[in-house]
Amino acid sequence: MSEFRPILRPVLGTKQAVSSATLRLSPLPEGTIIHVLARPGEEDMVPFLGSVAQTAAHAVRPVSPGQWFIVGEEPMPHKEMKSLFAALEPRASGVDQSHGRVRIRIEGKMASRALSKGTALDLDPSAFPVGQSSVTLIGHIAAHITRVGSEAFEIIVLRGFAESLWDDLARMSLEFS
Amino acid sequence: MASLVPCPNCGRRPKEEFTIKGAALKRPAAGADASEWFDYVYLRDNPHGAYEEYWHHTSGCRRWLVLTRDTVTHEVAACRDAADGSRLEERT
Repeated sequence: MSEFRPILRPVLGTKQAVSSATLRLSPLPEGTIIHVLARPGEEDMVPFLGSVAQTAAHAVRPVSPGQWFIVGEEPMPHKEMKSLFAALEPRASGVDQSHGRVRIRIEGKMASRALSKGTALDLDPSAFPVGQSSVTLIGHIAAHITRVGSEAFEIIVLRGFAESLWDDLARMSLEFS
Repeated sequence: MASLVPCPNCGRRPKEEFTIKGAALKRPAAGADASEWFDYVYLRDNPHGAYEEYWHHTSGCRRWLVLTRDTVTHEVAACRDAADGSRLEERT
């Protein structure tokens, strides 16, 4: 057996939440993120995924045609994940991305103003209502944005880019704090 | 420049999110002779006007798109997912 033991640390664990009256930027717990890829030709996947995953509201998030993220606050035990993957087959396949992607929450009256500095996505509630998700660039980093509340967004980003994106978001939020 | 691209999956997005992969031409059959492949791979036109091009929405839905663009005005006439729609027209 190797002497080397990898230690899993939350990548944004050392970051201080940026908080003010109009904006709050906070790292979310590294729970569960499952990337679901449907087989070509499968339709009506969202109700199916909702029933299989048994998760909270806004937990099944579209990524692109035929692809979704299933998001959970708590880490999912291996056994439970295996049975979830089995339940998805043969219509879709699941890939555990819990350690590969990180979630960041940005909320408050100025959240969409701050985000708009980095992305060309139209964040107006009429174009991007609660529950809507989209993959876009924030600066030069590709990220998945979901509106989880009228003034709250969740960002899913690849782990390797998380610190960089956090620093960018913190800088973008400076004028509102 | 065609700075806003109407992605059929994501809506209007800036060109920075995309990777351009050149003219959308019909691929020769696998067994086609070398001159036909040489023509396909190396001898590309540089048209003045309407043009069909492959664009990849790299920082978005990650789908291959076929964009109909005017090389003079950079106006985008149409954009569709490369997976659907009819086969590409034969090169003339």
